[in-house]
Amino acid sequence: QGQQPPYYQPQGEPEYINAPGYGQQPAYQQQQQLAGVTDQFAQMGIAGGQKPFSLYTTNLLTAPPDPRELLRPPPEIRLPPNACITTNPLANADPSYQRSTINIVPTTSALLNKSKIPWAIVITPYRSIKEGDQPVPLVTDTVIARCRRCRTYINPFVQFIDGGNRWRCSLCSMSNEVPQMFDWDQERNQPGDRWARAELNHSVVEFVAPTEYMVRPPQPTVYAFLIDVSHAAVSTGMVATACRTLLESLDRLPNEDGRTKVAIIAFDVALYFFSMPPGTTDSSMLVVSDLEDVFLPKPTDLLVNLKEMRASIEALLGRLSEMFQESHTVGSAAGPAMQAGFKLISPMGGKLMVLSSSLPSLGPGALKNREDPKILGTAKESNLLQPASAFYKTFAIDCSRAQVSVDMFLFSSTYQDVATLACLPHYTSGQTYFYPAFNAAKSEDALKFAHEFGEVLAMPIMLEAVMRVRASKGLRMSSFHGNFFVRSTDLLAMPAVPLDQSYAIEIQIEDTLTAPFVVLQTAILHSTCTGERRIRVITLALPTTSNLSEVYASADQVAIATLLANKAVERSLSHKLEDARDAVTNKMVEILTTYKSSMTAAGSGASAQLAICENMKMLPVLLLGLLKNVGLRQSAQIPPDLRAYAQALLTSLPSQLLVPYIHPTFYSLHDMPPEAGTVGEHGVILPPPLPPTSEHLKRHGLFLIEDGQTIFLWVGRDAVPQLVMDVFDLSSYEQLRGGKTTLPLLDNPFSQRVNAVIAKTREMRRGPYYPHLYVVKEDGEPPLRLWALSCLVQDRADVMPSYQQFINQLKDKVNGSSYS
Amino acid sequence: MLNFEDVEERDGVRLSWNVWPSSRIEATRTVVPIAALYSPLKQREDLPPVLYEPVTCKPPCRAILNPYCQIDVRGKLWICPFCLQRNAFPPHYKDISNTNLPAELLPKYTTMEYTLSRPAQVPPIFLFVVDTCLDEEDLKALRDALVISLSLLPPYALVGLITYGTMTQVHELGYGECSKSYVFRGGKEYAPKQIQEMLGLSAQNRAAPRPGQPAMPQTFGAARFLLPVSQCEFQLTGILEQLTRDPWPVGNDKRPLRCTGNAISVAVGMLETTFPNTGARIMVFAGGPATDGPGMVVGNELREPIRSHHDIDRDSVKHFKRATKFYEGLAKRASNNGHAIDLFAGCLDQVGLLEMKSLPNSTNGAIVLSDSFATSIFKQGFLRIFNKDEQGHLSMGFNATFDVQTTKELKVSGVISHAISAGKKSACVGETEIGIGQTSAWKICSLSPRTATAVYFEVVTPAGQALQPGSRGLIQFVTHYQHSSGQQRLRVTTIARNFAEAGSPAIAASFDQEAAAVLMARIAVFKAEIDDSPDVLRWLDRMLIRLCQKFADYRKEDPTSFRLTDNFSIYPQFMFHLRRSQFLQVFNNSPDETAFYRHILNEEDVNNSLIMIQPTLMSYTFDVPPQPVLLDSVSIKPDVILLLDTFFHILIFHGETVAQWRKAGYQDQEGYENFKELLEAPVADAQELLVDRFPIPRYIVCDQGGSQARFLLSKLNPSTTHMSSSMYGSNTSNAGQAIFTDDVSLQVFMEHLKRLAVGAQTN
Ligand SMILES: [Zn+2]
Ligand SMILES: [Zn+2]
Repeated sequence: QGQQPPYYQPQGEPEYINAPGYGQQPAYQQQQQLAGVTDQFAQMGIAGGQKPFSLYTTNLLTAPPDPRELLRPPPEIRLPPNACITTNPLANADPSYQRSTINIVPTTSALLNKSKIPWAIVITPYRSIKEGDQPVPLVTDTVIARCRRCRTYINPFVQFIDGGNRWRCSLCSMSNEVPQMFDWDQERNQPGDRWARAELNHSVVEFVAPTEYMVRPPQPTVYAFLIDVSHAAVSTGMVATACRTLLESLDRLPNEDGRTKVAIIAFDVALYFFSMPPGTTDSSMLVVSDLEDVFLPKPTDLLVNLKEMRASIEALLGRLSEMFQESHTVGSAAGPAMQAGFKLISPMGGKLMVLSSSLPSLGPGALKNREDPKILGTAKESNLLQPASAFYKTFAIDCSRAQVSVDMFLFSSTYQDVATLACLPHYTSGQTYFYPAFNAAKSEDALKFAHEFGEVLAMPIMLEAVMRVRASKGLRMSSFHGNFFVRSTDLLAMPAVPLDQSYAIEIQIEDTLTAPFVVLQTAILHSTCTGERRIRVITLALPTTSNLSEVYASADQVAIATLLANKAVERSLSHKLEDARDAVTNKMVEILTTYKSSMTAAGSGASAQLAICENMKMLPVLLLGLLKNVGLRQSAQIPPDLRAYAQALLTSLPSQLLVPYIHPTFYSLHDMPPEAGTVGEHGVILPPPLPPTSEHLKRHGLFLIEDGQTIFLWVGRDAVPQLVMDVFDLSSYEQLRGGKTTLPLLDNPFSQRVNAVIAKTREMRRGPYYPHLYVVKEDGEPPLRLWALSCLVQDRADVMPSYQQFINQLKDKVNGSSYS
Repeated sequence: MLNFEDVEERDGVRLSWNVWPSSRIEATRTVVPIAALYSPLKQREDLPPVLYEPVTCKPPCRAILNPYCQIDVRGKLWICPFCLQRNAFPPHYKDISNTNLPAELLPKYTTMEYTLSRPAQVPPIFLFVVDTCLDEEDLKALRDALVISLSLLPPYALVGLITYGTMTQVHELGYGECSKSYVFRGGKEYAPKQIQEMLGLSAQNRAAPRPGQPAMPQTFGAARFLLPVSQCEFQLTGILEQLTRDPWPVGNDKRPLRCTGNAISVAVGMLETTFPNTGARIMVFAGGPATDGPGMVVGNELREPIRSHHDIDRDSVKHFKRATKFYEGLAKRASNNGHAIDLFAGCLDQVGLLEMKSLPNSTNGAIVLSDSFATSIFKQGFLRIFNKDEQGHLSMGFNATFDVQTTKELKVSGVISHAISAGKKSACVGETEIGIGQTSAWKICSLSPRTATAVYFEVVTPAGQALQPGSRGLIQFVTHYQHSSGQQRLRVTTIARNFAEAGSPAIAASFDQEAAAVLMARIAVFKAEIDDSPDVLRWLDRMLIRLCQKFADYRKEDPTSFRLTDNFSIYPQFMFHLRRSQFLQVFNNSPDETAFYRHILNEEDVNNSLIMIQPTLMSYTFDVPPQPVLLDSVSIKPDVILLLDTFFHILIFHGETVAQWRKAGYQDQEGYENFKELLEAPVADAQELLVDRFPIPRYIVCDQGGSQARFLLSKLNPSTTHMSSSMYGSNTSNAGQAIFTDDVSLQVFMEHLKRLAVGAQTN
């Protein structure tokens, strides 16, 4: 039986080779496939008694990090018996939707503080549903039972009392009436089975909302494409690629209800609106050059129904790039273009998709080139990471109020001020996509952008969303991280929630917790792309404890790293990059110090060991990776745009994408096991990951390093001609060129396996990203080599320590600190 | 001496006096100033333009060689009569002899037209500025008219299109990919530099061309907006045909937002940066008043009525002054660059012509007022602008300068015409200022063969200087203009008139009362534009009385002895009708109409102007050939048909009996052929009048007693009023129709005049 070994037992080798890669398979499926239902119950602690957490301490100095550890699920949630009214294994939240940094909650804030582990939940409420994933169950009868005191939605952790006529709220203990129609099957018009209701069986559930939940009827899905057509944009092929992709993606845009609307506004030093009147496929171009006082040149036909005006839109997209082919215009009225797009769609809300190839230079939102190599690496560098103009914050708030979300696609070869531009996606739950020095003449560039843009276009989105997390009495949401705007203390406004965007919310314990478990419920009121008002509810129940060791034993190192990435980026903006790095290190030191003093015999005295529990063993290397990430790394060489983009990723990627981003995956390909690169039961089998350190690089070898955004194919200088021939179709290593490339698919098994590994790497994670593939020769161009090597985060790089040095530094700090 | 009209035929000029008093003091006593009404582009079939350059005097004089110059064929010299300098003939005149003279020295060629060797750099430009706040029918009619006009333009002429409504759109005609236009916010006032930048006419923001690439693509600059008709006719026709109503919604209680001022300012701004100082016409088509932005005339709330003369009189019009000032600013910029602005109104109500009048008035643009663009008044009037000459060239000139040169006894007082001063402070500039003075040259942005310029002079010779026998004064009119063919042309007219001693009967005998009436009317209207009308009327009366005192025969204090010679006899009658005319009595008309009437008066020649001042009235009845009759209520008889021509209206009036018969349909019955003919005769004559009239008059057919008859009654001398009839009890059918008015009749007016003229001197 393929039962997964209990996590807490010191174990033999996990069967990682055939185990799903990190996030390769959702935990749902994994659990279902790997375990029988009864085992599941046992694991959830539902059917059996609550087993205590056992703490297994390990010595970081002698136990090197093993990347395979990252493939494990977080420590299990062991609820007390009868906490849950259902035996459904999906009653508690799947970590890919909502995970907590600790899976058992201290009863007091003092205990939580003592642990030094920050408590937060990481929410990915609109996680994509990939093939094989269970869809989120939908409650369609609009019978929505909510606590009349705390407004919690009924969930698997309530209790039915009074003969089932009333229910007790799992958050505030309020006794509530069960709604009249709760037990009625409206579809069949007959008595229904209460126990079959989705909201009592599933932690993630979606309700169709009745009209009370609407300020206005659900709006159609609206896209305004703002396309830079300046010389830079046209000459790099951005415009042509964007138009072609958009043209090819028209069928993929969410439009099941036929209401989707589209507008196209081009801009350089002026704005070019396109009027698509009914009755003709000829569109006309309306140029507005009045940038200080942007207005719509026409009240109609600028924003048109995709279905009805399909032919016009196609005709326009087919010619758009040609129209501006001769453009010699330098300058960007991106700000006014956004204002115009806003004016156009703000009555309904929707998405502004900004595609820009240069620094906005004209009209409101114009920016100055503030890139100054002299201040890189200094305390002033964080100025460059803060928005340069109040316009972007103010405009973002206007957008948020009007239910407008902004996505930025940035393409410049020179400074574009990503830090400032990313503000708009940040506050409007959009996303920033960056293609530095984009040039469509390179087919890889065109392919990457076309793929990602196409994915974003095809993405369903939650419109007009507001998110609120409710929690058991005594708990309070204290701070919020991610792409949204905080409206009225704890209400997060999200004009359009994209798939696979993650948010972190920190929680404070305000009163001593007396209940054996607490409940955290995230509710997102939103409209679907198909014009339905819905509420997605994610309920997470966590047991409580007064035992510190249990807190440690339940810590989710991935969730902690995700939270700390968000906090570090924020700190780098409010303080300095150095402060942000120090804060990360200090947090690690604090945890280790407390752990040592409270969980090991060494107490507060010096120790030759550096102790941490097994389940947090990977935290130091994750944090080291975070410190070495482009977003935070100590360096005077990182262009501010790259840094800002990395920061945007660090604060929005779900854990599944964030982990490789800070702790890249490293495979040895030339000697991978025979099954690697072939198709197994769960798709392509990946090679075993190696610790990211150059110790494993061999001069004759072929390696793959990838962080979810970029893939490096490292070729050792002594690679044998056969290997070069098999993979690259070249007769020798000398003939191989480093750089961005498309790997040929050759008629030999090794080529096919390598290609399969790369393809799997590109598609196995959620999100629209399509990593570039770079061939890196061991003796090739230094910048590319250094870039690839910088992914090997356990190595020493510049001033940044190697993993061993880092651990030693941590040990010295832990031993040296007078902290008790 | 030649007949006045023959002179006019030859030189396009009519003078108030054809023999001139020899001293300043005597000239003052003749009351009506020496003045000329000159038509620089008067069509003359006997005057083919010569294909060589004119010979000019040395600077600064630059007078042009003419038949009045003394020449020395031996020394190959000529003496300029204006500055008395000697000039050598140019080398190619070496074969000159008394029997071999160039045309310009022959007595019959006092008017010459030269074609200059350097053609205009830019073909004529026509920029349409088209209102789209129109109902479908009007818009369609306007679109059709514009499309037709394209076929009337020379293929090389540059055309452009601006449409406006809530916003202004400048259409890029040179763009092949799709229809493309630049949009300006209607409610805003844009500085010229902004307009230039927003249209992408400035060179900033452009990447340096990469090596090996052509420098600047042709699509840069004005060529995108103004293209030869031959190149863009297809596309422009397409745009016009697809032109739709302004798409912005209009509330029931609102006027559409119409940014006329903004649109014109964009047009002016575009032309002044791209084609300064070259021939161009901005043709503005307005279906209603400007209701937004700079130059707005009335708010867009319907409850705010558009201003009347009374409102303006009370100084209670919100937008009037600001709008007027705005358009004056535009007019100044356009006229400085030689660009004419035409206004075509197609609206039952006013469009704000009063505020906008400076645009055509400073640039000699045309005005056509019509109730709708679907009327023939608009359609024919608009297309008539594109009339062609026998060579097939448009009968219009562009970007003209008009120079006046005088011999030393005379100085120029000014010009009253649709011109602006060119600021030429030559020696010919006089002290007295009449009209646009302090200069001897003017810019006239557009010329038509009808254009008649009134030029006023003063005699500066002090009294007491002995008059040389045969002494004469000379005036030279030099008009330099861009011909529609692309040539630059120079028309020069030189006239000479004798001086006469004070009191010489020759002076009185040379009085051209028609020209004088028109020239005085222009002064009166010019004054009325500035002063209150009562002052102007008093001034006119005073001038008339003084003229009569000077030139009538009478015994002092005996009105019955008062006699005027033939060439003065109808002058008082002209003045009587001028006083009553719409030019000076504005309250029966809208402010727009007043502006329109006054504009036309300042454009037309003597004959047309006289019709405006004193309309003609023809009477048709049985057995008598049609004959002109008195413009008097006595002319209304039951059995006649009257044909009234006020220049602006052509009216056929059926007397009571005729009207009854016509209603009964006698004309269609056998045996009544003569009645049918009678009915048809005035119709045929009216058609004849309509043929070359511009603007197209309103054509009215009415019956005695019908409401439309008021147009006739208002023009007639009220010799029989409700007052007179009650006084004399003579209201028989033969005594004409009583007119309800408090105006004095011509008879009463004349009695007063006689009494005052013969009485004690008043001033
Ligand atoms: Zn509750
Ligand atoms: Zn001279």
